[in-house]
Amino acid sequence: MIEVRNLTKRYGPFTAVQELDFRVDEGQILGFIGPNGAGKTTTMRILTGFLPATEGTAVVAGHDVFDEGMQVKRKVGYLPETPPLYRELTVGNYLRFVAELRGITGSEADRRIGEVMERVGLRGWERRITGSLSKGYRQRVGLAQALIRDPPVLILDEPTSGLDPAQVVGVRSLIEDLAGDHTVILSTHILREVEALCSHVVVIDQGRIAAKGRMEEVRQEAAPTHYRVEVRGGEGVAQAIGALDVVEQVDPGEVVVVRSGTDPRPAIARLVADKGWDLVSLERVVPSLEDAFLALVGREGGA
Amino acid sequence: MRTVWTIFKKELRVYFVSPLAYVFLGVFLLIAGMFFYLGVALTGEASLRVMLGNLAIALIFVLPMLTMRHFAEEQKSGTFELLMTSPVSPVSLILGKWAASLFMCVLMLAGTLLFPAILAYYGDPDWGVIATSYLGLFLVCAAFCATGLFASSLTNDQVAAGMAGIVMLLPFWMVGSAGAVVGERAQAILDQVALLPHLRGFTKGVIDSADVLYFVAFAFVFLFLTYRTLESRRWR
Repeated sequence: MIEVRNLTKRYGPFTAVQELDFRVDEGQILGFIGPNGAGKTTTMRILTGFLPATEGTAVVAGHDVFDEGMQVKRKVGYLPETPPLYRELTVGNYLRFVAELRGITGSEADRRIGEVMERVGLRGWERRITGSLSKGYRQRVGLAQALIRDPPVLILDEPTSGLDPAQVVGVRSLIEDLAGDHTVILSTHILREVEALCSHVVVIDQGRIAAKGRMEEVRQEAAPTHYRVEVRGGEGVAQAIGALDVVEQVDPGEVVVVRSGTDPRPAIARLVADKGWDLVSLERVVPSLEDAFLALVGREGGA
Repeated sequence: MRTVWTIFKKELRVYFVSPLAYVFLGVFLLIAGMFFYLGVALTGEASLRVMLGNLAIALIFVLPMLTMRHFAEEQKSGTFELLMTSPVSPVSLILGKWAASLFMCVLMLAGTLLFPAILAYYGDPDWGVIATSYLGLFLVCAAFCATGLFASSLTNDQVAAGMAGIVMLLPFWMVGSAGAVVGERAQAILDQVALLPHLRGFTKGVIDSADVLYFVAFAFVFLFLTYRTLESRRWR
């Protein structure tokens, strides 16, 4: 549904994104994550036809974004980082304007506006001036705008920023509902959100792809599952554990960290019991996407 | 064409839900009223010649203020991104905005129709001359709105856009009276680009196709420059 090849964007001497390659299949939700300034917004702007790329190609919904920009624009709903609102207009007038821009008029527009307002939780807010709305409600109007034509492809730049926790849950379940018959790319800082929603991720850092693929694969590769063993009253614990068949790699220390493809816990427990040591703890650690992200981007505290 | 209409409606709505439109209409009518009074009091003629000539000059300062918002504000508030990612061509965008500002001009000019009505009550004005004068003024508006839109497309700062528009228009007024400095021959050439010589015919009841062409070309050049600027902004 979305295919990006060798995409590069330079602003003068500054390279914003470099040689991006990824694809999103129909019905997938792709999480697009990376530190601030990594090039997420630039990439989304290229995919929506707002910016031209310096090199490379992008095909969205079967159309090249450069050569057939108009067709792409008809099929993509886009929520930019700041919701693009006309502060003077009411919610209803604003959505009607966007609907007409996208070719929906008359009673069809009324119906669609009613539907999307219901969907994003804006029912009864038609007459409010968008400029007077709180950040969360502006974000909802932005989402409503992106959904108005029920586009097959949705590109959402930080859809939950500025929302309160209850609204975040609402927007997440909305995006979950959209999956299947919509293809979604969503960028966010909130990694838990990606974990909750996305089947696939692209991690981008300093304009380059740091990792991509299925969520579990990326997580596993960047920060593999490991086992922490804490034992008291013994010498040469690490060596003894390392000698076990199931264990692939051992990091010695106060707490011994063991990497292994299969679960080594029964073997370790038996070993500790045989040697007469005291087993304090033996746990399996599944790293979060956060750990994987930090391992990939490698700059704690972030840029 | 349909999107031109959509943009046009939106722009008018934005004009009228903010105080801007009312302030503009008020200020413009105040200035026009002053020129009308001075013109009639000084010349003792039942004509709008003085008022219309001066209004053309006043428009140099007023219209860039009317149009400065258009692209500058869209860029600043991020709605430009909405427009450029919607299936709308830059041409319909420009035409919609131009038409909306011209519509505001028509309202402003319609407000000044009170003055010929006053003339008709007290005297016997030449309606043909008044009609051509208004046509001339409308063409001035069309040209100046195009210039103002171009200025607005250059920056995302409204005030800078307004000033830039005025600065672009001023030379067209000033070169008309450069004769004392550059000599009569040079003045004859400058009169071809100057604003007021092309308006003179209209205020005398003459519609010269060269004058009409001047304003049409004026508007076209600036609309075209606006188009090029919008296109090039995307590449930066």
